[in-house]
Amino acid sequence: MKTIILQQEAIDIVHVIREAGTDSDGAVVSFIGRVRNNSNGKTVLHLEYEVYSQMARIEIQKVVDDAYARWSLSTCVVVHRYGRIGIGEASIVIAASAPHRKEAFQAVQYIIDTVKERVPIWKREFYSNGSSWIHGKD
Amino acid sequence: MKIRIKTFATIREACGFEEKELIVSEGISVKEVVQQLKKSYRQLNDLDGALLFAINEEYCHDDAALSDDDTLAIFPPVSGG
Repeated sequence: MKTIILQQEAIDIVHVIREAGTDSDGAVVSFIGRVRNNSNGKTVLHLEYEVYSQMARIEIQKVVDDAYARWSLSTCVVVHRYGRIGIGEASIVIAASAPHRKEAFQAVQYIIDTVKERVPIWKREFYSNGSSWIHGKD
Repeated sequence: MKIRIKTFATIREACGFEEKELIVSEGISVKEVVQQLKKSYRQLNDLDGALLFAINEEYCHDDAALSDDDTLAIFPPVSGG
């Protein structure tokens, strides 16, 4: 089961993790990307993510398909938010399950790294004295 | 032929539009479309070298040729996650 969701509202992290896993899986690995209150020495008040929705879905699907081709995954859920996101909130949640933990760990690491490299989503940081677009992964 | 241009993030701000239809010559390349846009939207020149392209939601290089009714997306390096 592969599930890909782009949404504006807050991510229900527990629900995403519960969605992953079948009775034959021994491991569910999750990654939660959170909004930090600082970036390059500046205090961040909140973020905004802009998304090219149609293409982002296609690209996340490709990343997940690649992960399935490389590791024996049973389920994978990727939820990415867009719009305004407050400090401490989750911007992305990934949960993948596999019979054994090693495969699930490697797959989730691959998925988050590759999402950051190629999925058309852009982050803008807001400070007390302005804002700036962030280009490229960090 | 007619193509649709979509812009995102800094490119959207430099161009001042999110989506636009353009009438262009048959077989025009992405690079040629960008050169045309730069004449009207001069701020695009400042973002040179940091542009990524997709035709119909698929990444492409700037030498790719466009066909009638294609959608060309122009955007900066991504920063999701």
